[in-house]
Amino acid sequence: MKQNSNKQTSPPASQPLFPNLEDSLDHIRTLMGDSSDLVIRSLMIHKTSAAVIYMDGLVDNNSVQNFILEALMLEMPSKRQSSHHLYLSIKEKALPIGETEEIESYTDLFDKLLSGETILLLEKQTKALAASTKGWRDRGVQETTSESVIRGPKEAFTETLRTNTALIRRKIKDSNLRIEAKKIGNKTHTDVAIVYLEGTAETDVIEELNRRLDQIDIDGVLESGYLEEFMQDAQYSPFPTVYNSEKPDAIAGGILEGRVAIITDGTPNVLLVPALFVNFMQSSEDYYQRADISTLIRMLRLFCFFVALFMPSLYIAFTTFHQEMIPPPLLINLAAQREGVPFPALVEALMMELTFEILREAGVRLPKPVGSAVSIVGALVLGQSAVQAGLVSPAMVIVVAITAISSFVFPSYNLAISIRMLRFPLMILAATFGLYGIILGMIALVLHLCSLTSFGKPYMSPFAPFIPKDQKDVLVRFPHWGLLSRPSSLTKKDQKRVDSTSKES
Amino acid sequence: MMLVKKGVFFKIPAIVLCFILLTGCWNSNELDEIGIVVAMGIDKTDDNQYELVAQVINPSEIATDAPTTRPPVSTYSTTGKTLLEAFRKLTHKSPRKMYLSQLRLLVLGKDLAEEGIISSLDLFYREHEFRTGFYVTIAKDTDVDTLLSTLTAYEKIPANKLMNSIEAVETGHGSSKGITIDELISQIHSKGQSPVIAGVFMEGPEEGGTNISNVENIDAPVKLTIDHLGVLKDDRLVGWLDEDASMGYNYILGNIKSSVITHPCQDGTASIEILRTQSSMDAAFAGGEPSISIELDLEGNIGELNCPIDLSKEDSIQNLNKETEKEIKRLMEASIKSAQNDYETDIFGFGSLIHRKNPKYWKTVENDWDTEFKDLHVDIQVKADLRRKGDSTQPIIKEG
Repeated sequence: MKQNSNKQTSPPASQPLFPNLEDSLDHIRTLMGDSSDLVIRSLMIHKTSAAVIYMDGLVDNNSVQNFILEALMLEMPSKRQSSHHLYLSIKEKALPIGETEEIESYTDLFDKLLSGETILLLEKQTKALAASTKGWRDRGVQETTSESVIRGPKEAFTETLRTNTALIRRKIKDSNLRIEAKKIGNKTHTDVAIVYLEGTAETDVIEELNRRLDQIDIDGVLESGYLEEFMQDAQYSPFPTVYNSEKPDAIAGGILEGRVAIITDGTPNVLLVPALFVNFMQSSEDYYQRADISTLIRMLRLFCFFVALFMPSLYIAFTTFHQEMIPPPLLINLAAQREGVPFPALVEALMMELTFEILREAGVRLPKPVGSAVSIVGALVLGQSAVQAGLVSPAMVIVVAITAISSFVFPSYNLAISIRMLRFPLMILAATFGLYGIILGMIALVLHLCSLTSFGKPYMSPFAPFIPKDQKDVLVRFPHWGLLSRPSSLTKKDQKRVDSTSKES
Repeated sequence: MMLVKKGVFFKIPAIVLCFILLTGCWNSNELDEIGIVVAMGIDKTDDNQYELVAQVINPSEIATDAPTTRPPVSTYSTTGKTLLEAFRKLTHKSPRKMYLSQLRLLVLGKDLAEEGIISSLDLFYREHEFRTGFYVTIAKDTDVDTLLSTLTAYEKIPANKLMNSIEAVETGHGSSKGITIDELISQIHSKGQSPVIAGVFMEGPEEGGTNISNVENIDAPVKLTIDHLGVLKDDRLVGWLDEDASMGYNYILGNIKSSVITHPCQDGTASIEILRTQSSMDAAFAGGEPSISIELDLEGNIGELNCPIDLSKEDSIQNLNKETEKEIKRLMEASIKSAQNDYETDIFGFGSLIHRKNPKYWKTVENDWDTEFKDLHVDIQVKADLRRKGDSTQPIIKEG
């Protein structure tokens, strides 16, 4: 709504087309500031002047050449026609292109032009034709880099919206699959698609999502993260309430569970709402491997969640407050290692954790060949030398290493980030109050998690509120013939997934 | 745009304030700031003060790749009018705060034990840092300071060595028994049972055990050894049970997990490996006079035979059974005799049993139980069952 009012502040663009071709072209040139990638090809069709306008690089040159220029210049019947008749016959007969549209205003014209369509202007006409000739270089569908799997599809979304919707369509060949389009961003006019299964996804969620997306008034959307921050429920929570993935199978799986996907043009990261806490602990591969190993791995992830979150703080609490809780031989060992370490356990832990975070960040940003240098420095300098120099105790290195490895276990990077952040306050709590502090922190964390919602769905469901029926696919994964219904914490519609007779017992 | 709720600015400081005010235990200590005390010894000095000895481990000597010549433990001793006073005086000598939660062993001096121990145990029961699971022993024929300053060769920490030895004797031989502080205190307070405490002593020359050279020998000249049980009457040490009586004591109470019984067999000896025992006690009242009956069932293997009997015959096994029963009965009787005649104190808890069985009768004898105990009739039934002969079917000296 606001978006529209903004557009009205630039009146020249919303003007109807000028009948005079030269005026029109001048107008376009002026507004585009004689942009170097603007191509205006003037031509004569039976003594009627015409112009073909397109943006170089956004159009498929072959289509423009073969189906527009060739059709107009060579294959037009030689009968002399009035400008109006010529326009109609071009519109109906001459353009062998799938998608054409009529344009009547400069707003539309620029919209189409800048999305890569080719515009045909005719002398004395206040209508123009736009032919869809979009075609630019993109990466093509490639293997996923951030969510690799052993078993299961390896393809990942690309930066092109249309490719991404096609990837989902290819997985769900159902006429109920809805792909709704939106444009967000006053300057970028980014295409956004909302994808869901009609009759499966809850209407409330779709309406809410539309409402939140329509509210966004921003100059540009370059990545789905822009949208995520606008539409997530808890702005100030460290926990993510919007799921994202670049794997079409993960998104298709979510859509089948009654969730709604949001595809943003220009990024391979597709969003999925509503997102529950447990979703971030699950990987699409859980459904491709056998049920038993998937269950065990989910338990392992839960264990790693606690290790990654609490290990350093527990170490601090035990060694500085609760020495009586450590078995004597271990205590002697730890005490021996701490002899001569100049820093308190907290400083030691913070130092190591911080160094690890620095190394990790450096590793991500550096080009690959240099990246290995970072790991050498990390392993050698931190693992070995820091201990030998007596700056940290070997046990602390082990604790930090286990914590770090555990935080890599999660299939979703989002959750790992929250854990990374929360580790530090917990460490400080542990150093000031011991186990008491950790328990306080834990209580606060649980309260906070239980207070979150994602698009109206309780974040901790199906644990809180406890939904017995949904437990089949949370900590354990039942075999597919046992996953009879959709998770009711996500959608209450169209519950049946598997016919109970489909597996002979 | 989401606004920060107004209350937050009030709530966050309030919560932080709560953290500071509601602290449970504020005693954060880095591991390198505490001295881990593994053993303590207490005794009385001649001028009636307490002597306190603390054995503190030196972690870097114990868990190290490159041991130096420094000892793995250090002992510090002080005196004071009370134990806590003495304990706090340790700070004069020790570089670190003493940490008591890992205490394994408390050694009582002989003088203190003979004088009465209960008043000196208050600190150990009151102070929150102590666990209640450490063993209490009595230093026999050695003074506490020397005993706790003796280095042990195989186990670097002397306190661990003593504790492990007590447990090994308890489970492997049965001639001694560890007692924890809470058991000790409850038995001292019980009128129907007196405690027994394992003795520890130093074997070898008086001097030299404190020197690191002691543990540089294959056979260390000075060793710490577990002795048999010391008998307490009320809270005073009145004497020691010998080996037979100590074993008998443990058989009566069913403490024996595994042991060995040796008895004569024709021209030689036979040793039976005891594998399982089950004892039960009962009190009967005939004509107003109480009597105790003890039944002991045990299972064993033939462990070692030095006599030419024919094991293929049922009779020989039955014979061995009988001999075993006889020998165990002898041990048990020796124990009871020693308690009744020599020390006149009920270390077996017969009084408690009678209390449970016949509270009314107990009321009449409660205050005079030790004299009643002297004449208590105890009936012993032992049932031995030898199950296996081991890997050889016949004694090795038997021909054929």
